[in-house]
Amino acid sequence: MSTKGTRTHMGLKARSRISNTVIYVLLVIMSVVWLIPFIFIVLQSFRIESTWQVGYILPQKWGFDNYLALWNTDFKQWYLNTFIIALAVAVLQTIIVLCMSYTLSRFRFKMRGPLMRFMLILGMFPGMLTMIILYRVLKDLGLTQANAVPGLILVYIASSGMGYYVSKGFFDTIPKSLDEAARVDGATRLQVLTKVILPLAKPIVIYTILTAFMAPWGDFVFARYVSFGTSAGMNVAVGMYSWLQQDMISQRYTMFCAGGVIVAIPVTILFMCLQKYYVEGVTGGAVKG
Amino acid sequence: MKMKKFIALFIAAAMVFALSACGGSDDNASTPAASDGATQASQEQQSGSSELAGTYDITVWMPDAIVDLTKKMIDDFNASNEYGIVFNPTIEAVGEGDAATQMITDVEAGADIFNFAQDQFARLVQAGALSKLGAQAGETVSAGNDAGAVKAVTIDGELYAYPETADNTYFMYYDTSVIPEADTEDLDAIIADCEAANKYIAFQLQDSGWYAASFFFGAGCVSEWATDVDGNWSVNDDFNSDKGLIAMKGMNKLMTSPMFLNSSSAADLDAGAAVVISGTWDSTTAKSILGDKFGVTDLPQFTVDGTKYDLVSFSGYKLMGVKPQTDATKAAALHRLAQYLTSEAAQLERFEAVGWGPANTAAQASEAVQADEILGAVIKQNAHSVVQGQVHDSWWNIMKAVGEGAKNAKSDDELKTVLAQYDTAIEDLKNLSTDPIFVGAWNGWDNTDMGVALAGEGDELSITLTVEQSDYMGGRIVTCGTWETDKGAAQVTTGADLIDVAGAGDDNNIVFLAPGTYTVTLNTATGEISITQ
Amino acid sequence: MKKYSDLEYLKLSKWQRFLHKIASFFASIPRSLKNAGLAIVNFFKNIFLAIGREISDICTTFVKGDWKTKISYVIMGFGNCARGQILRGLLFFLFELVFIFYMFIAGIIFPGGHGGAYWLSMLPSLGLIGPHEEYNMVLDSYTTVYGDNSFKILLYGVLTIFFIIAFIYTWRQNIKQNKIAEQILRSGKPLKSGKQDLHSLVDDQFHKTLLALPMTGIIVFTVLPIVFMILVAFTNYDGTHDGYNNSLFTWQGLENFRTMLSWSGSGNQVYSATFGEILTWTLIWAFFATFTNYFLGMFVAMMINKKGIRIKKVWRTILVLTIAIPQFISLLYVSKMFAKNGIINGMLLDWKWITSPIPFWEDPTLARIMVIVINIWIGIPYLMLIATGILMNIPQDLYESSRIDGAGPWKQYTKITLPYMLFITGPYLLTSFTSNMNNFNVIYLLTGGAPTNVAASSAAGSVGFTDLLITWLFKITTGEGAQYYMASVVGILVFIVVAVISLVVYGLLPSIKNEEDFQ
Repeated sequence: MSTKGTRTHMGLKARSRISNTVIYVLLVIMSVVWLIPFIFIVLQSFRIESTWQVGYILPQKWGFDNYLALWNTDFKQWYLNTFIIALAVAVLQTIIVLCMSYTLSRFRFKMRGPLMRFMLILGMFPGMLTMIILYRVLKDLGLTQANAVPGLILVYIASSGMGYYVSKGFFDTIPKSLDEAARVDGATRLQVLTKVILPLAKPIVIYTILTAFMAPWGDFVFARYVSFGTSAGMNVAVGMYSWLQQDMISQRYTMFCAGGVIVAIPVTILFMCLQKYYVEGVTGGAVKG
Repeated sequence: MKMKKFIALFIAAAMVFALSACGGSDDNASTPAASDGATQASQEQQSGSSELAGTYDITVWMPDAIVDLTKKMIDDFNASNEYGIVFNPTIEAVGEGDAATQMITDVEAGADIFNFAQDQFARLVQAGALSKLGAQAGETVSAGNDAGAVKAVTIDGELYAYPETADNTYFMYYDTSVIPEADTEDLDAIIADCEAANKYIAFQLQDSGWYAASFFFGAGCVSEWATDVDGNWSVNDDFNSDKGLIAMKGMNKLMTSPMFLNSSSAADLDAGAAVVISGTWDSTTAKSILGDKFGVTDLPQFTVDGTKYDLVSFSGYKLMGVKPQTDATKAAALHRLAQYLTSEAAQLERFEAVGWGPANTAAQASEAVQADEILGAVIKQNAHSVVQGQVHDSWWNIMKAVGEGAKNAKSDDELKTVLAQYDTAIEDLKNLSTDPIFVGAWNGWDNTDMGVALAGEGDELSITLTVEQSDYMGGRIVTCGTWETDKGAAQVTTGADLIDVAGAGDDNNIVFLAPGTYTVTLNTATGEISITQ
Repeated sequence: MKKYSDLEYLKLSKWQRFLHKIASFFASIPRSLKNAGLAIVNFFKNIFLAIGREISDICTTFVKGDWKTKISYVIMGFGNCARGQILRGLLFFLFELVFIFYMFIAGIIFPGGHGGAYWLSMLPSLGLIGPHEEYNMVLDSYTTVYGDNSFKILLYGVLTIFFIIAFIYTWRQNIKQNKIAEQILRSGKPLKSGKQDLHSLVDDQFHKTLLALPMTGIIVFTVLPIVFMILVAFTNYDGTHDGYNNSLFTWQGLENFRTMLSWSGSGNQVYSATFGEILTWTLIWAFFATFTNYFLGMFVAMMINKKGIRIKKVWRTILVLTIAIPQFISLLYVSKMFAKNGIINGMLLDWKWITSPIPFWEDPTLARIMVIVINIWIGIPYLMLIATGILMNIPQDLYESSRIDGAGPWKQYTKITLPYMLFITGPYLLTSFTSNMNNFNVIYLLTGGAPTNVAASSAAGSVGFTDLLITWLFKITTGEGAQYYMASVVGILVFIVVAVISLVVYGLLPSIKNEEDFQ
């Protein structure tokens, strides 16, 4: 096909049609690979003939039993906990990240350089290291076990200032002349932020809210520490992870799949709706580091 | 610039806030005893019928399967006990493995009563997560349970937990349509059946020493561990031997079969397995998957070089523990409850509800237990089993490596290498303990140096040992890692009359003049050794 | 090493240039080390000089200052109040009161509580009295009487030191304020009022207002824990020395580092060998995880963006599913799918494509390849989004003119697309490399580190062939014996490795972009 004769013979259009066909085939294969695990999870969640893992895909008996069974466990409590955490973190973390990134993008004060270097160095320590001590601090404040929800919110937002890079990168792309014009007109710095910058920063604000909202759904390492064997303080990841332990997996596997579907649906829908902003956020901010 | 202080103030104020908050809560934390339950208890003491009377808020961690049952049992206890104790329990579903790990992570936040498997016992005692049984409780436990169960809860002659079940062993569930009954005693036949039917044999040899040990014990090896409260341990182990090689060959044969599956979950019976080596906890799942094809029996025999060996399982116990308390009343009440929850009646009740095999001898003798199909397999298996001692934590890791090695080895030499690595790992383990080690003839210095670590608080490290009559009743204190003599006869200041200074030799050995029990104490600051009989 | 003039350099082939760059990098190492050494020496020199300057300034201010200033040395904020700046003065004074209260009085008035002085005094020993058991004859039960708490001593000891530093800093500010106020008054200008102070917080001092909250959080919940955990590496804090419930822990110098790196002649190299092995795999993993995602993500983005490809949005949406769905669901499920008796093996066996199941997670090499491949599944969509944004920004006329020059798609890619992408995403590649080194989720959820590494079995934690340093750290923390001190050592080493890589790569990057360029 790629001999000289055919190539010269074929027009540009024909060549592009062939390469497009190849691309379509590739994309279809990829889509299948990407979708398969999720389809499998959904199928498993409707399987009611047994509750453990099986070697086949299509359920022999279909039903909503697994979803109904979730209702009788602490799942709704875990779900509510996670939702509250995600909501609170989304709001507070966004405020903090915006404060931090806006300041570091717009202000030139003496400690700015050292501060950014300092945080760069801090970021090089593995976060997992501080898990035990954070747990102890929360425990002393009475924010563990049954009170794990406020404790987790506190920890998630407290260090969130460190994640300012992406939104700082975005603010850097907003021309400084806008600020200066407003300052000349007599606006205070606060007014510049609220009246001029924030309206322009809508994509990055939504991006920050979205990522902050999504993160708590997946955290199970630290959340497991903080809830410490107390069902009332667990989030979905911690609670459902315990279903996959040796002594429970036979009874709870299909319920795990059902729970997974319920967790994934709102997060996925939200993500799909706000995808546009997410793309603007990562491309606008991430590459400028 | 001039406003810089505001930041400083802000941060500082926030820190002060945090500090004072912490400082304040510290009062409670340093005396966690002063919980509501205890104060109420002491108030009711005057009016109640017994000094234990009162209401106690407690946390209980039990496996998911018995959460409801435990709730009912505690209610029964509240209604029936003669002391006027009322428990207000919060019962959480926490698996056995998790319970031990969580307790060790943070004893204070842990449950007051919790359920764990025997292999975690030594760890929990060392972590200060188990409270010692009183004299009366100790006697009840010793009298009511089988000897292995009592051994399993004893360290240094003291009891620390309550035996709950005696079925913590493994045996074979199988699919009768794949494995004919005639083949169930022969591992080779089972492998052949499974390969013919394209069905898996699930046996978690590759990453679990608990299962892998069955081949070694079957081949006649021993691995006896002793641990004391402070975590000092010693081991008598001969896995690195010809007998060990037999075990490795047996494992290798099974594990190189394409149908070998490294798992121990009965759910695998629904995912292509015909044989699952697992325990009582899987009985319900196994039965419901296999239905009328359900088969259960003890472990088969494996064949190496024409000789047949039994697979000998580890047998162990599930135990119930009470967290150390600062309030004597609450401690006593909790121990009453733990006794109740592990009594003959309670063990039978659990057997009926979830099929857990009792550790209580009277309960074991009851008709219902005797007639049970699963426990029948347990009893058959227990005839070929080794009671699990206080195995060192790291042994489980080391055994994972043995399982991995047994699978991948291509020749006998490679199998031997794995065993040699096992031996090195055990030696490394001894070296890694930071305390000086005492080696001597009484713990096997003739062939391999078996050390016992000295232990204690501060500068004074000591060890108590029993020296038996032998040709050479000597030993010495060595440095970790090098096995070079560190301290010996020349450093003995107190008790020099008990040893043969002249016989010390170049190695500076401490040679005792007469058999007996000695305490050797090393002062690490001064380097002086004192010996008392 | 040969030095080239500019002209000579331009004449070199691509490979020669590349080799030259590498060679000059290595040749510059001694110089860089010397510079680094000098920088460190200068750093400390400057610190000492600065302290000297501060002290002399404090003294001269005291000698030359008026009585208001002098009293401010003892009663903070007095000068401010006396000169009419009531708000500032009160804040200073309040801070001093709180400090004194915390350090000395809190321990006295709260029964059983401890003040800062106590924590500080216990810091060198980390506690003296451990817990012990007591037997109650009447109740026939044992109770535990707890003693000191090493953990709290270390934690609040560190906090107290932070607090003292903050106090000294504030005290110094208080003195500076007096000096400045005197100067301003001498020059005949009025001082700022409290109202003006407050107003400046939303205007010319707005950055301080904005930073106050985030920085407080970072100091209390990031800096303090990191300092604490670094200190833990020098203690014997573990599951059986938890400092309260069983026995106290104490300082033990560099012992843990010695065990980890085995530099002393202890003859036990388990830890150093294990560390070396895991580090090697961590670097291999990070390399592949970063670059497979990078190039494949770019490739996918180019495919989807190609002219004539329809329903672009649908393709993108399908791919980004892996970002949207929490990893603990998707990765755990995928790991089960590839289990020996999982669905994949089951189907392949049914279709007779294989005669015996493939040991995806049991074979070390296969397991390593699998985690990298599955990481592509997770990582491509993210890269695709980034690449899409960047590719759209490449001026189309570059492509047009190159096409006229006769460049094919491959030439266009290597000459235009790739250099442009690399230039823009250089720093991103670095951060993605270091974050892949610490990619806990993918490894932990997929394999949990399995299969077990035979040679490393006596090191703490159960080490496997797919374990990264970060999962090893986690295993040590939560595993048998809970050796927190070893986890700390690993954490510190991870930091050192990441820092070194970052420094080297920043040195190699063609040009460090001036951040002002973007504005």
